[in-house]
Amino acid sequence: MKRSFLTVLILTLCPVLLISARPGDTPKYQKARKKMVDYQIRMRGISNQKVLSAMALIPRHLFVPAELINQAYDDHPLPIGQGQTISQPYIVALMTESLQLKGDERVLEIGTGSGYQAAILAKVAKEVYTIEIKEKLFQKADKLLQSMDFNNVQIHNGDGYFGWAEAAPFDCIMITAAVDHIPPPLLKQLKDRGRLILPLGNPFSYQNLSLVTKNKDDYSLRQITGVLFVPMTGRALSPKSLSKTSRKDFP
Amino acid sequence: MIFIAVFLLSLSALTFEVLLTRVFSIAQWNHLSFMVISIALFGFAASGTFLNILNTRQKDWSERFATVDWIKAVIILYCVSAIAAFIVLNQIPLDYFRLPLEPVQTLYLLIAYLLLALPFFFTGLIVSVAYAYIPEKTGLVYCASMAGSACGAILPIALLPLFGEGRLIIFTALIPLIIVLWTEPEPAAKHIVTASIFRKKRFVMQASGLGIFLIAGLIVLSAGSLIQVKPSPYKALSQMLQFPDTRITATTAGIRGRIDSVKSPYIRFAPGLSLKYTHTLPGQWVSLKDGDDPFVFYNLLHPAQERFANFTLPYAGYLLAPDPENILLIQHGGGGLSIPCAMAAGAAEITIVQEHPQIARLVRDHYKVSVVNQHPRTFLARSDKHFRIIHVENWGTSLPGSAALAQEYLFTIESFTQYLKHLKEDGILIIARKLLLPPADSIRMWAAAYESLRSIGIEKPAHHIAMLRNWSTFTLIVSVHPLSDNKVLKEFARNRNFDLVHLQGLARSEANRFNIFEEPFHFLEIKRLAEAYRLGTAKDYFKTYPLDVAPQTDNRPFPGRFLKWLQLKALYKITGSRFYSLFMSGEIVVAVVFVEALVVAALLLVLPLTAIGKGSPKPSFANCLYFLAVGAGFMFVELFFIKKYIFIFGDPVVSFTVVLAGVLASSGLGGYWSQRIDPRSLRLTLTALIAVLALVFFGLDLLIQHIIRLSMIMRYLIAILLLVPAGLLAGLPFPLGMRYLLKSPGERAYAWAANGCASVLASIAAAQIALSLGIPTIIACGIAAYMLAFISAKMEP
Repeated sequence: MKRSFLTVLILTLCPVLLISARPGDTPKYQKARKKMVDYQIRMRGISNQKVLSAMALIPRHLFVPAELINQAYDDHPLPIGQGQTISQPYIVALMTESLQLKGDERVLEIGTGSGYQAAILAKVAKEVYTIEIKEKLFQKADKLLQSMDFNNVQIHNGDGYFGWAEAAPFDCIMITAAVDHIPPPLLKQLKDRGRLILPLGNPFSYQNLSLVTKNKDDYSLRQITGVLFVPMTGRALSPKSLSKTSRKDFP
Repeated sequence: MIFIAVFLLSLSALTFEVLLTRVFSIAQWNHLSFMVISIALFGFAASGTFLNILNTRQKDWSERFATVDWIKAVIILYCVSAIAAFIVLNQIPLDYFRLPLEPVQTLYLLIAYLLLALPFFFTGLIVSVAYAYIPEKTGLVYCASMAGSACGAILPIALLPLFGEGRLIIFTALIPLIIVLWTEPEPAAKHIVTASIFRKKRFVMQASGLGIFLIAGLIVLSAGSLIQVKPSPYKALSQMLQFPDTRITATTAGIRGRIDSVKSPYIRFAPGLSLKYTHTLPGQWVSLKDGDDPFVFYNLLHPAQERFANFTLPYAGYLLAPDPENILLIQHGGGGLSIPCAMAAGAAEITIVQEHPQIARLVRDHYKVSVVNQHPRTFLARSDKHFRIIHVENWGTSLPGSAALAQEYLFTIESFTQYLKHLKEDGILIIARKLLLPPADSIRMWAAAYESLRSIGIEKPAHHIAMLRNWSTFTLIVSVHPLSDNKVLKEFARNRNFDLVHLQGLARSEANRFNIFEEPFHFLEIKRLAEAYRLGTAKDYFKTYPLDVAPQTDNRPFPGRFLKWLQLKALYKITGSRFYSLFMSGEIVVAVVFVEALVVAALLLVLPLTAIGKGSPKPSFANCLYFLAVGAGFMFVELFFIKKYIFIFGDPVVSFTVVLAGVLASSGLGGYWSQRIDPRSLRLTLTALIAVLALVFFGLDLLIQHIIRLSMIMRYLIAILLLVPAGLLAGLPFPLGMRYLLKSPGERAYAWAANGCASVLASIAAAQIALSLGIPTIIACGIAAYMLAFISAKMEP
C-alpha cells in the first residue's frame, strides 16, 4: 500500500517538478526585461503605452529554447527550432505598435512560431487568432499560451495562406513568416481600412517592416522601417537612431 | 609499392575533397564549401610539419616509415578517419547561424575541422615520406600523386549519380585498402624477426582491412540516416518538408548539385504578384538544387490558369511587345514564373535556355516546350536568331552578401550586349530580380543596361530603359528602340498597384504611390546615376556610393557582390549592428577563413623551427621562399583556369573538375619529365613557365570567345589541351626543387609543409582577388609568384 502510494505520489509530482524546473519569472528576468524595454524599445522611439506594458509584462524567456534562455532579452532574434526564429524584441514591439491597435480589434496572426508575438498581441487587442502550419511549433506554443491563461487567443494548426475564414473579417493581420507574395485570401479577409503588417527580408539579415492598408479596391504598402539609406552623404543609419538626432543634420 | 600507395591515397583524398564540397553545399551554404579546400590543404601541410618535428628527434624516420607495414597502418588510419569524419560531420549539431550565439558551436566547428583534416594529414604523410625516402625519384612520386588526384577529380562525375554523396564517400574512402588486403608485408630481414611474427602481422593487417570493409558495408546497408546528407534547416527543402502532406518524389545526385523534386499542396510561388490579384494560384510542385533555389512548375491545365501571370510585375515587359512571334526565356537558379508569363502572352514559339541538365529535362517533360540545355552565353554565341522578347529570370538572393562569391555571366555588360544583339528591332529585354534596400542590385542592372546600350551605339540609353517595382521585386525593361509609349506602363502600374522607378519623363509623385518607402530611394538613386552618366561623372558616382554597384564585366562577373571594405562599419550599422548578418556575406567568410588560415599556416611553419636543436641546420630562407612561391603559383594558375573556364562550361563544378583533372594530369606528366631534367635547367623551366603564363594572360580571353561557339566535345577537348602547356611546366618546379635544392629528409618535409600552407593561402586570396581586382589578376599573381621562385632558386648557392 505504502509502495503504491509512493509511486502515485512520484508520478503526480514528476510533471509538477518538471514544469517548475523551467525558470519562472525571477527578479533576474524581470530586471532583464525592464532593461530590454527601456534600452532596446523605448529609446528607439516606441511610445505606445499598451505595447510597452505588454513587452514589460510577458516573460520572453519562456518562449525561447532552454539553451538560449540567457540571451532571451538580447537585442537580436533567436532560433527556436524547425528553421524558425523568435523576432528581435524591438521588431515585435514595432510590428505591434504599427498596427495602431486601440483594444477592440480582432487580429489574425500568420505564423505563431514560439507564440511570443501572439502573447503580446493578446495584451493589446481584443481577440487574437493565430495559425501555425508546423505541428511541433503549434503544439509547443499552444501548450505554453494555455499555461499562461491567454483566454483571448485562438490557435490553429493549419495553412495560414487561406487565413481564418470563419473568424473573418479582421481589423488587422500580421504575417510573421517569409513570403514572396501576400496571399490574396488574406487581403480578402481584411476589413476596409484594415491593416496588414509583414516583415520583409531575411531574419538573419536586415528586415524591412511593411504595412499594407486596404482602401476599397486599392492597396498601398508602406515601408515602416528597416534600413534607411541616406544617399547624398553616403551615410547609412537606422531610421530610429536617426530619430534620436535631427534629420536636418543630414543634407 | 609506395608509388601505388601515393596514387591511391591521392585519388581517394581528392574524391573525398570533391564530395565534401557537395556535402557542405547541401548541409550548409555554397560559399562555405570554400572551407573544404583549406581543410584539405592544411591536412597536407600539417603532415609536413609533423615529420619535420619528428626529424629533430629521429633522423632515420624516412627509412622506418617507408616500410610496407607502416604504409599499411597509415592507410588503415586514413580509411577509418575519412569515414568517421564524414559521419561525425553529418551527425554533429553544427549550426552556422548559432555560432555567434552559442559558444558550444565553436567547439563543434573545431571538431568538424580537425576531424576532416585527418584523412588529408594521413595522405600527406605518405606523400611526404615518399619524397623524403626516395629523393632521386621525386618526379615519379609527384607524377603518382598528381595522376591519382586527377583520377579523383573525375571519379565523382561518373559515380555520384549512382551512389549519392554519403555512399560514395564511404566507397571511395575504402579504395586504398586494396593495398592492405592484397600486398604482402615487407620481407626485409631487419624488420622481420621470425616467420610467426610475419604471419601475425599479415593477419592483423588483413583482418583490420576486412573489418573496415565489413563495418563500412554495414553502415551503407543498415544505417541510411547515418550517411544521408541532410540540408540545413534554414533551406527551402527543410522548411517545406515540415508542411503536412509534403513529400520528396525524386532525388538525383550529381556533381552539379542534388536535385530533389517535392510535391506539396503548400507550394505557392508568385514573386511580384500584384496585391490586386484576388483568385487562387494554379497548383505547383517544385525542384530544389542542394535543398534550396526552388524552381517551380505550374500545373497550367487550361488558359485561365495562366491569368495570374498577367498580374505579376515582369508581365509589364510583355505588354510592350504584344502578340510576340517568339520568346526566349533564360533561366538560371530558382524561379519558374517566366514560363506562365510567356504562355499568357500567347507566344507562337517559346525557347527556354536552362543550363542545369536535370531541371532542363523536367521543364521539357512538364511543359512540352523546346528546352536548350546550355549556358545562356554559349547559346547566344552560337545562335544568330532574333527574338521579340528575351526574359531573363534570375531572382537573386534575399540575403545580401550570400551570393557575393557567385560567378555569373548573366548580368555583365557583355551579356547585356548579347541580349540586345539578339532582339528584333521592336524587341524587349525583361529582367526580374529581388528588390534590395539600400538600392544595390537595381542600380547595377540599370547601369549595365545603360553601358551596353551605349556600346552598341545608342545615343540616349536612358530613353531605352524602364524599371518598375513592387515591395519585393523589380523588373528592368530594355529595348533597342526608344520606349516612347509610356502610357502602357503607367496604366499597368496604376491598375496593378505597382510603382515606376525609371521611365522617361517620370515624376517623383509616380515613383512612390503604392509601395511606399520613406523616400523613393530607387527612383532617386537611378535618377542621380542617369544624371552622372549624362555629365560624364559616372565613375565618381560609383566611387562615392557606399556599396559597390558598378556594372560588372566578364573579367569580374560577380553580380551579387556589393561590399566595399572601407564602408564596412557603415554596413554593419545598416544591417542592424548584427555581427552574424555580416558573417553571412561570402566576402566576410573569405576574409575570416584567410585570417584563420594565416594563423594556422604561421603555426605550422614556425613550430618545426622552434623544435630544431641549436646544433641542427634550419631550412634556408631562400628555400622556404622558393617552396612558398611554387605552392602559391601553382594554386593561382589552377584557380585562374577554374574561374575562366566557368565561362566556357557555364558551371563552376564542371569547370572545377575539368581544370583539376587537366592541370593535375599534365602536372603529373611534368613530374615524370622532371626525372630527366638536370639541375641547371630549373631556372630555365621557370622562365618557360612564366612565358607560357604571360601568353595565357594576354591570349586566353580571345580564344575563349571562339571556343564557346564550338560543339561540346570540341569545347572540352580544346579547353583541356589549353591546360597542358601551363600544367606540364607548373609540374616541374616542385619536384625539381625537391631534388636539387634540398639535401635532407627534414628539409623535404618542411618544404612540403611550406608548399601546402602557401597553397591554402593562395586559394583563399584568389577568391578575394577575383572579386576586387578581376579574374586576370589571379594569373598575374601566379606569374609574380613564379618570378619570386626564380629569384629564390638563384639565391641558393
